[in-house]
Amino acid sequence: MSQDVLVVAEHGQGELDDITFEMLGAGKALAAQTGGACVVALIGGGQLTSQLGGADKIVAVEGEGLENFNPESHGAALAAIVEQAAPRVVMVGYTSMGMDLASSLAVRADMAHAASCLEVQAGDTVTAVSQLYGGKFNVKTDLGAGPCVVSMLAGSSPADAGRADGAPAVETVAAPATAGKVRFVRLIEPEAGDVDITAQEILVAVGRGIGNKDDIEVAEELAEELDAAVAASRPIVDSGWLPKGRQVGKSGVKVTPKVYIALGISGAPEHVEGMKGAATIIAINTDRNAPIFNVAHYGMVEDLFDVCEELTEELQDR
Amino acid sequence: MNTVVLLKRVPDLVEDLEVDGSGRALVAEHLKLTLNEFDEHALEEALLLKEDGGGEVTVVALDSADVDKMLFTALAKGADRAIKVTGVGAVGGTRELAGVFSDVLGSISHDLVLTGVQASDDVDGQLAPTVAANLGVPCIEVITGVEAGAGTVTVHKEYAGGVLGEFEMTLPGVLGIQAARQSPRYAPVSRVRQIQESATLDEVAGAGGGDGRFSIVVMTPPKAGEGAQMLDSVEELIAVLDSKGVI
Amino acid sequence: MLGFGERIAFVLVVIVCGGLATRGFLRIGRIVRLGGPAERTDRLAARLIRALIEVGLQRTIAKARPLVSLAHSFVFFGFAFYLLVNVNDVVEAYVEGWSTIGAGPAAGVFNLLSDLFSVLVLIGMVALLVRRFVVKPRTLEFNSNVILQPEVAGGAVRRDSLIVGVFILLHVGARWLGTAFHLAHDGHGDPWLPAASVMATAFAGMSPDALEVAVHVCWWLAMGLIVLFLPYFPHSKHLHLMVAPLNLALRRSAPRGELDGVADVSAPGARALTDLAWPALLDSYACIMCNRCQEVCPAHASGTPLSPAALEINKRYWLNANSSSLLSAGEAPMLLEFATSPAAAWSCTTCYACVEICPVGNEPMVDLVQMRRAMIFAGDAPDELAEVLRSLDEKGNSFGQSARRRAKWTRGLDFKIPDARKQAVEYLWYVGDFASYDPQCQEISRTVARILHAAGVDFGILYEGEKSAGNDVRRTGEEGLFESLTEQNVETLAGCEFERIFTTDPHTFNALENEYGDEVGAPVEHYTTLLLRLLESGELELNGGDGGRATYHDPCYLGRYNGGFDAPRALIEACGTELVEMPRNREQSFCCGAGGGRIWMKDHDDLTERPSESRIREALSLGPIDYFVVSCPKDLTMYRDAVKSTGNDGKIEVRDIAEFVADAMGGAVPCPSV
Repeated sequence: MSQDVLVVAEHGQGELDDITFEMLGAGKALAAQTGGACVVALIGGGQLTSQLGGADKIVAVEGEGLENFNPESHGAALAAIVEQAAPRVVMVGYTSMGMDLASSLAVRADMAHAASCLEVQAGDTVTAVSQLYGGKFNVKTDLGAGPCVVSMLAGSSPADAGRADGAPAVETVAAPATAGKVRFVRLIEPEAGDVDITAQEILVAVGRGIGNKDDIEVAEELAEELDAAVAASRPIVDSGWLPKGRQVGKSGVKVTPKVYIALGISGAPEHVEGMKGAATIIAINTDRNAPIFNVAHYGMVEDLFDVCEELTEELQDR
Repeated sequence: MNTVVLLKRVPDLVEDLEVDGSGRALVAEHLKLTLNEFDEHALEEALLLKEDGGGEVTVVALDSADVDKMLFTALAKGADRAIKVTGVGAVGGTRELAGVFSDVLGSISHDLVLTGVQASDDVDGQLAPTVAANLGVPCIEVITGVEAGAGTVTVHKEYAGGVLGEFEMTLPGVLGIQAARQSPRYAPVSRVRQIQESATLDEVAGAGGGDGRFSIVVMTPPKAGEGAQMLDSVEELIAVLDSKGVI
Repeated sequence: MLGFGERIAFVLVVIVCGGLATRGFLRIGRIVRLGGPAERTDRLAARLIRALIEVGLQRTIAKARPLVSLAHSFVFFGFAFYLLVNVNDVVEAYVEGWSTIGAGPAAGVFNLLSDLFSVLVLIGMVALLVRRFVVKPRTLEFNSNVILQPEVAGGAVRRDSLIVGVFILLHVGARWLGTAFHLAHDGHGDPWLPAASVMATAFAGMSPDALEVAVHVCWWLAMGLIVLFLPYFPHSKHLHLMVAPLNLALRRSAPRGELDGVADVSAPGARALTDLAWPALLDSYACIMCNRCQEVCPAHASGTPLSPAALEINKRYWLNANSSSLLSAGEAPMLLEFATSPAAAWSCTTCYACVEICPVGNEPMVDLVQMRRAMIFAGDAPDELAEVLRSLDEKGNSFGQSARRRAKWTRGLDFKIPDARKQAVEYLWYVGDFASYDPQCQEISRTVARILHAAGVDFGILYEGEKSAGNDVRRTGEEGLFESLTEQNVETLAGCEFERIFTTDPHTFNALENEYGDEVGAPVEHYTTLLLRLLESGELELNGGDGGRATYHDPCYLGRYNGGFDAPRALIEACGTELVEMPRNREQSFCCGAGGGRIWMKDHDDLTERPSESRIREALSLGPIDYFVVSCPKDLTMYRDAVKSTGNDGKIEVRDIAEFVADAMGGAVPCPSV
């Protein structure tokens, strides 16, 4: 086992996802602790090596059928890289793609595993802090002295720390053959939405506290005064009250507006993941213990209807 | 197509949870266990597949206090068989649980295993891919749509931003369900009670799940950070918005 | 008076039409017996007498629509008297020389009455026909999204009304004209027949032979029509003449707030028409299709597809068209397909207004609960309702919150409320879900606690041991969950020592009083009754409140269901506040829209105006009003929301009675302003 940290790059539709750079930044810091190198595993994204200047080394796997993510072929490719490189820590994103890779690798390569990680430290043993129980508790685990896999939460580290210029060496590994039990068919893009919320400066987001489809009107009126768009947490979209394109969160979109007003949103990690990057977060919720107040910059323990109405009125008078 | 649904109970997050004296576990007295909501979706998807194309649905869960009601509820919803795995004490994590389940799965004839995409107490990974790796079968996580084929399933895997990936998987295999095609159906209490009188739960002795390969150091509530600056009136709110240049 | 040939002809007509009619009535009897069992025939004689008195005094119809009820009473009393008239006319036809004209004072009185009633019937009937066909009130129409049988949608009810109306006009008109022709033939009027005498002058120029023909023609029109009309009865709402008194006599004798149990646990509720109990089938034959029930229904008023009237009317018209096939072992139709829809069934708030107002004793609400039972058993509940039912099952409350937080509201008090599970108390306070978990209602709970504490009342609560009493759970059709909650609550109560129970929630009150029966083991009262009693005994002292004008909203489950109208009013006035009544008060109170599990469900897409919003507007129409007073936690939340959503914030304040009492106790009870 080397002391290297292997960061599994995540990419889709020709672009490297932010989480790759987040992990690269965190990986470099971790590699400094272990005394090894920070290596990036790039599976099926050969043209992206130029963006990975922050890595010490890149191990790339190319092959037919690797251009689109496939749990089986990408999983086999990763296993091959790990067998060859024998890193101490493998960093995978705690994402849709990452879930298909991490546990499988850990079992096959007989490695310890911690998921939903906020941070990783290395000393004699590797310890990780996982965010669990809906964000209510952070659990610190000791993964032992041997090799381990850590699944990193999106937004747990700054992405800029992983961006740098450079031309690291690229090593190629042959794509291993697979049994071909999982076949990628196609990607399905979401229906063209009415509004692109990622392009908005101000967002007024509604959560379960809105109670009722008709009451979204209250948020819409406020949004109109602020020249903003209405966004939503998952339950609102699942109920069909707003189109999927308005969903902010882990399985929706990530937004970084100037101002994010969260109305009746409790602040579950899956949603916070999508909006924690906003410059100013204002949360309004009747539950003073709602986790959203931990990530918000400003908060009000008030009925969102009262606040919206008054605020809308005040803005109209101006 | 015969499916097996793996059900796991997790602490109900609505309760006031606290870390106990050891610092490594939750205070048991306040813990209320509830079925992992994603496992409920997995069960719903299994029942829908059965309604579409026949076959049997078997649910499996570890024995714990009050688990019987959960299993009878699954039967009341339309599952054909419910298996309670006994003799295994508290399980330390996903790897250990997967070990127990994989062992039991060996003795159930099945085409497809369904379980929830994740659970709120998944310290060491997710159940679906772990079980699949144990059994040496393929797995796809974050599934929102399943269609049965001949010896295969066609599924939709959800990525960020609402993008879906369509895959075809040869069976047997495991799927981690994010959401069933429709909300989990309601099991009326009277039906559950009737099933409790008429049906029986199969009991299977479980073998230990092996080492989880990790140990918990400490559990803490998240750092509150500076926390939000609380505002007392809409005037103050307007002042904030003003200062950010948005009005 | 009739010739030999005529007499034979009439007998034949009677035999034929009577036979057809009898067959029709017997068929209806067989249809009704297809329904499920129901215990309704105890003390039958007393029931019949009571019903006849009710009908005789026109009590049930006079509850609404005063002018229409007046017109109807003309027709009713006229027709009731006409039974004698028709008997007399048959005698007159067959007994030579028999006539009531000029036959002494007794016959004279009879004639006077028949003359007067004839005119009244004609006036009344014309008025009713003008109302239906010229005025065309909206209340006789249904929301466009209400399911209607094809005949009904095609105007069958109007046609029926026209046929009946014209028949009455012709029958009574011809009889009265016949009298006028008779007088003209006699050559002079009769002081006992004032109106007919006036009419007779118009026929003065006719020849005796022509007049005699006219008399015979009128007799045949009058008597012939009524006999010919007999076979039409089974197809017409006019059948209510016979079925309504029967339906009223066979009403449930159990308390309103107690639902009937499930007849067949393996198939609870009703899916097919004949799954309903037989009274529900009799209802469809009693229905007069007046739409009074629809008029008072909060669900229909707010634009949803629910119409209790359409439900009964659809049943009737389906049966009219299909009784033969149904009786020859045909298949009964599915209620949620032909009579109403699932969305409509879920729109019901179970406020009981439809049952209360029905002049013929129909219970459309009961049918809807039966349909809900069947849907729940099939797992067909709206998603958000299913979530709440699961929460009630797992946590004992409808808020999805931890059971351990149920008594958290007590933390704002500076004294500890005794735990009734651990110590004996005089009064056990069954708080209820909303009063425990909803932030606004928690304030009221604290106020009530402070009032009782200041008055030195020995009371306790069950803390986390309390679970929802299950009133609305039962009304959503989840019988199994209701049973489960009841069992647990009864067990908890059995382990406590108390003399009386009171509650701040009318729904809880109804469940404990009517659904739990003897298992509670103590008298149950609403907190307004308790407070009034304390006031009257001097344990509670009021030093005058801050006055103002208030209107009081009667909660459905306290007022209409359980007759609790007076205690709240007495309390409000004792607090020095002027009480003004809304048009819809007491039994006619208009539901806030939260009951029957509605507060757990999403609004229907077709919603026009929420019932609570309509009610606030009603209150504001009373002129300057300071307070809208409630005595139910759900009313509190519904109406405070409605004040805001109708843009009337600041114009009227929604207050609970407890707040008035606390104010009027002076400094004894701190009452935080909302």
